[in-house]
Parts: sequence; structure tokens; C-alpha cells
Amino acid sequence: MGRAPTQQAQPRSRLRSKFALVVVGAAALALVAAGCGGSGSSSSSTGGTKVKGGVAVYAEPPSTTSNYIFPYSSSADFSVSNISYLQQLLYRPLYWFGKGETPDYNSSLSVANAPQFSGNNVTITLKHYMWSNGQPVTASNVMFWINMETAEPANYGGYTGFPSSVVKNVKVVSPTELTMTMDKNYSHSWFLYNELAQITPMPTAWDRTASGPSHCTTTVSDCKAVYTYLDGQAKTLNSYASSPLWSVVDGPWKLSAYNADGHMTFVPNKSYSGPVKPSLSEFKEVPFTTDSAEYSVLQAPNSSITVGYLPEQDAPAKPVSATVGRNPLSGYNLSPLYSWGINYYVTNFQSTTGNGPIIKQTYFRQALAYLMNQKSVIQGPLRGYGQYTTGPVPNFPKTQFLSPSTPTGQDPFPFSEAKAKSLLTSHGWKVVPNGTTTCTNPSLCGPGIKQGQAMNFQLPFANGTSWVTSEMTQLQSNAASVGIKLNLKPEPFNQVIALAGGNCVVTKSSCKWDFANWGGGWVFAPDYQPTGEELFMCGVPANSGGYCSKQNDNLINTTLTSSASQAMYTWQNYLQPQLPVQYQPNGVYELTEIKNNLRGVTPQPVTLAINPENWYFVK
Amino acid sequence: MTIFLLRRVFQSIIVILLVTVITFALLRAIPGNPAIAILGPNSFRNPAAIRQFDQQYGFNLPWYSQYWLWLRHLLAGNLGFSWKLNQSVASLLGGHLPKTIFLVGISTILALLLAVPVGVIQAVRRNKFVDHFFNGFSTVFYAMPAFLLGILLILFFAIKIPIFPPEGPQGEGLGVLFTNFNALILPIISLTLITLALFSRYMRSSVLDNLTEDYVRTAKAKGASERRVLIRHVLRNSLIPIATLLGLSLPGIIAGALITESVFNYPGMGYLFYQAALNSDYPILLGITIVVAVATVVGSLLADIAYAVLDPRVRYVSQ
Repeated sequence: MGRAPTQQAQPRSRLRSKFALVVVGAAALALVAAGCGGSGSSSSSTGGTKVKGGVAVYAEPPSTTSNYIFPYSSSADFSVSNISYLQQLLYRPLYWFGKGETPDYNSSLSVANAPQFSGNNVTITLKHYMWSNGQPVTASNVMFWINMETAEPANYGGYTGFPSSVVKNVKVVSPTELTMTMDKNYSHSWFLYNELAQITPMPTAWDRTASGPSHCTTTVSDCKAVYTYLDGQAKTLNSYASSPLWSVVDGPWKLSAYNADGHMTFVPNKSYSGPVKPSLSEFKEVPFTTDSAEYSVLQAPNSSITVGYLPEQDAPAKPVSATVGRNPLSGYNLSPLYSWGINYYVTNFQSTTGNGPIIKQTYFRQALAYLMNQKSVIQGPLRGYGQYTTGPVPNFPKTQFLSPSTPTGQDPFPFSEAKAKSLLTSHGWKVVPNGTTTCTNPSLCGPGIKQGQAMNFQLPFANGTSWVTSEMTQLQSNAASVGIKLNLKPEPFNQVIALAGGNCVVTKSSCKWDFANWGGGWVFAPDYQPTGEELFMCGVPANSGGYCSKQNDNLINTTLTSSASQAMYTWQNYLQPQLPVQYQPNGVYELTEIKNNLRGVTPQPVTLAINPENWYFVK
Repeated sequence: MTIFLLRRVFQSIIVILLVTVITFALLRAIPGNPAIAILGPNSFRNPAAIRQFDQQYGFNLPWYSQYWLWLRHLLAGNLGFSWKLNQSVASLLGGHLPKTIFLVGISTILALLLAVPVGVIQAVRRNKFVDHFFNGFSTVFYAMPAFLLGILLILFFAIKIPIFPPEGPQGEGLGVLFTNFNALILPIISLTLITLALFSRYMRSSVLDNLTEDYVRTAKAKGASERRVLIRHVLRNSLIPIATLLGLSLPGIIAGALITESVFNYPGMGYLFYQAALNSDYPILLGITIVVAVATVVGSLLADIAYAVLDPRVRYVSQ
């Protein structure tokens, strides 16, 4: 899911301008001298002689720390910090996603060979991987996870119904082979990307409770007690580095030091049996309160950070044609990292404010889409580091899932007040620029819309990210130009999520809201194929706005059962102009700064995983 | 005096209880589903997780039942468990509070040690160069936001002229504060300058008021030297408002430390509270509220006691 907007990012640019005024008066010469300092590179460095060893220090995102080591994480702990920056370094998922910068299935980094499909049957064959305690990674270790997910679905943050609702039978055939019988013939790609992708083999050493070994590997009813025990152990943070449980790993790294404040040190797992062995002697992660604090450390001479990030507000604007703009830091290379997702704000089709009937009108949603100026937001507040959201499927990076007819690199509803106005007037609305547009012909306006009804909406949005705030202000102004009144309400991210995160009818929460923008849209992980059954089907909990169309449901169901790409294309070509949500730019996840003597960090996958085993220093 | 103290302690307990009731009610009044706020966007996929969370933490109960549950745990010494940080509130406070107390304590003591003489000198040399100089100094720092001062200090003393590290001491426990004290100097300077500006203004004003009092004229008329009048009579009386200020500014100082802690990557109590507020981590919010409420009440109580020590009339009235 989307990364929580950072609350500290906003004041930085304002701060900078105040600072400049003070200093110009006091020490202009010092600043001039500083301004003449060199800047870093915007592209990856190449060359140099590989040096074995060295310590890489990785700056964690602001105000986030890894604090849950057990890979079977509940929703509260299901975060990039826990999964990518801690768990996956130690415990490898059965199937790895992220190849180059794409979210594609990566066979070489997967613990198992590609699944073999035969009708409704799937065969999974494990590669030769070893746990650090000398035992092999077996089919039983996979079964351990599957049984856990069967017994404790409420405690897994990535739960999508697998295995209970899609698998009839799972059988361990041999130590290296496991077969599953699906309840129908699903799309091979969907089953791999969205269901098998969830599995992380768990060592036999974890199949225990406080009183001794247990049998979750073979008996589902034993799993509850095992989960309770492991969850309790995972909440004893200070024991992470020394725990006999958590020190059994099959990943390339072992945790050698852990501090609950976010400081972590990893050393190579000498018995790692995967394809790329770590070259670094240590990999350290360090926490930061804010991105400004991180940037201060990054700017200091001889900064200890090897891989950090440039706060968006400190980035010089990127030219439209370039992939990376100028880097203000010397000694570092700049590399933007985007997430595998789509960004949008929600329009509540089930709104009980009286505006529900308006929101249900496709012409209205299209008018609203023409008022969102994605291009201007990307070039303005995002300083060039943003991607257009063009529909229900991410268009960056371009993948096999994206319909060829989706325009990449451009807004499907390019900003046009004239088109918005035309859509409204042709549907019975009297448009009053900078006033209040009202319905004058209810038969044209649409069912449920009353004569004289005004276009007046509440729009709470997450106030922690400066570009989202700028975007919302701009949208408010654009909407006012056609008489749509948007009452913006900046609120904390969690409050917006709590109000509008789930489908209000399904979650039985209040439907008294029109629009909401938590700023992050949706990130597709660990369900990497963006098929839409979780977001856009009628009545699913994550369908926040409650968009519902039988035709759309049928098309989505086809994407789940047909392995042909055309099914994905047909569905998204239908849904894109329906605007089940309002598209907004997908801002850069992070502007990564990489020390110029470090190699192997790029390309960074949009799955947000990190692979420090690929990193090495050069001289 | 004993009765006065007992009465004040009893009042303090009532105040703390009221603070907890109000804070608890306000937190529960925040619109939206707290389970979704805590579990985050992932909970959309899994409504069972939301139901389980509500049951586990009592969110399915009325707010007063939840409060009673929380109060019972509190009285048993259990401050709760942070859902976001996976640690008990007591261990989080144990990790963060000493850091803040150390930082705020040193800064406040330094500010006080400097503010008293600066305020006295300003009052004695009223409208002279030294008074104007310190007036300008205190106005600048009093008006300057904590984050700006912090960033200026980092820019000049960590980036341009790298004398000090750009961040506070990193690592667990108080030990790192001593082994890496160099890293604490910029945060201390930052907090001290802001507090000093406030205290010195009050001290100057207080000394000026006292210099025009009758007892000063009487002391001078009796032949006491200027120095004796100033130190034995004026200084003691002038410290009364500072004692009050010191007691009541405790929450303010902790709030001020939030900014300094954030700028200098020094996670203390203020920062912990701020993050908990953003994450709807109610147990932490309530735990810190209790600690700050107790600190404020104790601060106020100490100020009252300091009054009694500094001003015999207070003792007389209380008796």
C-alpha cells in the first residue's frame, strides 16, 4: 500500500527562503562561496575496480523504522520498512518480484522454480536453498506458511483470500515438491503474481510455542498457538539480533545488531545459497526523524550515508526531456525511485451528503478529470519527478499488463476548463465561473439530482506532503472556474484513511463524505498484477468510492481466469474512461542519492525492495 | 505548610485525572475508524483484521468503558502498548524521556545560569549599550523559530565549518550522550539560546520592578552598598517570577524540544509524541500526556514551594 506522506517534508522550502533572507544580510560572502560549490552527478557512475568488503550505510525513510521481524505480518506491520528493509534481507519469499526497475517475476532470485500449471493443478519445485542452521528449505516450510495463512487470515496484511478461497487442496509430494489444486483454472500469471507471491517459506525451528515444538507444518489447528508465540517473540524487539528463532535465515544477510530506535546492522549470511553473495562486509540502516535531518547529514563533509535521499523540495526542477535533473549534492549520484502503483483521489459514489447522484454521473467525473492538471502538478510542485496516472494499471515502468492503447507519458484527460464546462452545460447545468454551478434541467443532470442543486463538495486531503497540498489548491482553483466549489480540508493522513479508506457500505462506516485524497493511491504489492479485483469490483472493501459496474466485474473476472494479455487490455480500456477514481500524478517515492564509489544500487525496482547483496564499492 | 502541601497534592491528582479524561475523550472524538487509522490502508483488503483489532483493544466498547479499562491498567502500572512501534509505552518512555530530560535539563540550567546575570546587568545598566545589546539579542532569539535556529547552526557549524556533527548522538541508552557529547552541543546551544532569550527578558523586567520598591530605598537609606542591595535583596525577590516561569514552562520546553529533536535527528519525547499523534497511536499519546501532566503539576507545585522559600509572606499566608 501507499507510503504515508511525510509530515515533515512540507516546511522545508518555506524554511529555506526565510533562511536566505537572514543570511544574505549577515554573511553574504559565505553563501556566495557556498553557492559556488560543486554539485553531484545525476546519472549512475560506472567503472572502477571492485573492492571486496566495506560498510554501506542506508538512510531509512523519515520517521519510519523496522519493528517487526516475523514475515507473517499483520496489517499494522505490513510496511515497506518491515518487509523490504528487514524481513526480505533475512527471509526470502518463495517468488521474487522485481527485475531491473520493473515489478516482473524474477526467476533467478526466487527460492522455487517457476510454477508448472496443468489444468487446475500447480506444481511448485524448490531450488536448493539452505537455512543458516544447516537444514534445507523444503516443501514443508512452504506448507507451514500456507497452513498459517489458512488458520490466521486476519493477521496477515497481504491477505487476499489465498489459499482458502482459491485453492482446494495442497499436498507436499516430496521435500522439494508441492502441488496445489485450484478451485478453477486461473490465469497463470495472476496466480503467480497475486497469490503465490504472498508465500515466504518458514523454517521448522519456528514451528513451536513457548512450551516446545508444534505441528503447524502439518496441522492447521496448531497454527493459532504458533502464531501467538511467534507474534509475541516478534514484539520483543531487543532480542532480534540474539534470538535463536530469528537467526535462522535463508536470505543473504544476518542481523548482527538491532536497536528499536531503527539502527540495524546486517552481516553476510555465510551459508546463503542464493545466486548473488554479499560483497559488503556490513550493511547498516540508520533512522531519521525528518527528511531535512537526513539531508543535513547528507550535506555534511564526509557524510557517513552511502545511500540516502534528497528531499523533493530541495531538488532542482528536472527538465521535461531528462530522466534525472541536476543533483545539488557532490559525491553522490541521483536516481529517482517510483512505486508500482496508481495515484488517485476517491469520489464516493455512495455519498449520503446529497452529492451521491452527481458523483454517479460519468460526465461529471470526466469534467472533474479535465480540471486536474497532472502536467502542471508534475512540472510544478513535483519538480518533474512524477508520472501520469492514466488508468487502473500503472504505466511506469511500461509492462506487459498495460494496454497498448493507453497513452503513456501524457494525461488521458488533459487539462481543459472548456471541455469541463461543455460537459456540464450539455447535461443541464448552468455554469457560473467563480460562482456556484446549479442544475437547471434535472432530466439532463441525471437521476436523483434536483432542480437548483449546487455543485458543492467537501474534499479532505492528507496534509503532510507539500506537492499534494499544492495540487489540491490548484484543483480547487480550476474547479471554481466552472463553478464547482471544493471545500478543502487538510487533515492528517490517518484521519483521511480512517474516513475514506474502506468502502463505507461494506465496512459499515459513515458514508457522509464526497471526495477524499490520502495522497498515495494504491501500490500493487504483494499482489503485483494490477487486475483490479481488490480495488474496483462491486462491494470489495478496498473499493473506497464504491464504484460498481456489472460489466466491469465480468471483465475483471476474465482477467483472473484468462492468461491472455488481451483480457487485461479489454478490462482497462473499458474502465479507464469510467473514472472509478480521479487520477492524479504518482509522485516520486524517493530521490535516491548514491555515493559515487558504490555500484549495484541501480536500477531500483518499483517493488521498493532493496538488494544490498548486489552492492559493492570501487576504488 | 504541611496542610498547604497536602491540599496542593490532592488538587494535583484531581487535575491529572481531569487531564486524562479530557485527553481520552478528545482522542476518541476524532472522526473515522481508529482501527483503519492504525492498521493502515492494508486493512481495506481484510475487514476481519479490523473486527479483530476492535475486539482486541476494546474499540467496540463505549468510550467511558474504554477509559475505565485504560485507567485500571494505568493504576496497575501498565501504560499500554504501542500498536505502531511494537513496544510497551513504558519502555518507549524509558528510552526517550531520559534523552529529552538530559537535553532540556542541561539547556534550561545553562539558560538560567546565563539569564539571571544578563537580566540583572540589563536592569542595572538600563538604556545603556549593554542593555540594548542584550535586548536585541533576546528579541532575535525569542522571535526566531526553533527549526530556523537549528538549521542555521547545522549549516554554519556542521556543513560550512564542520566543527560539530549535524545530528545528535545516535544509539541506545544514555551512555551515547556522554561518549558522543560533541554531537549534543548544537542541540544544547539551540535550545539554550531560545530559553535564555525568554528568561533574560523576564529577569530584566523583574529586577527593574524591584529596584523601584520601597524596601530597596530603605536598604540604601540604611547604608547598604549597591552590591549588597542588589544581591541580598533585589535578586532574591526578582527570582520569584522566574521560579513560576520555570515551573510552568516545563511543557513548553518539552514542546520546544520536539522541534530541536526533529531538526537534529535526536528522537526524544517531543518527537515521540508528534509521531504518535500522526499515527493515531493512542497509548503513546495518553502515556506522554500523563507524564507531561504530572511534570506540569509537579512543576507548579515546586514553583509554589519555591515561592514559600523565596517569599516569607507566602509562608505566612499558607499558615
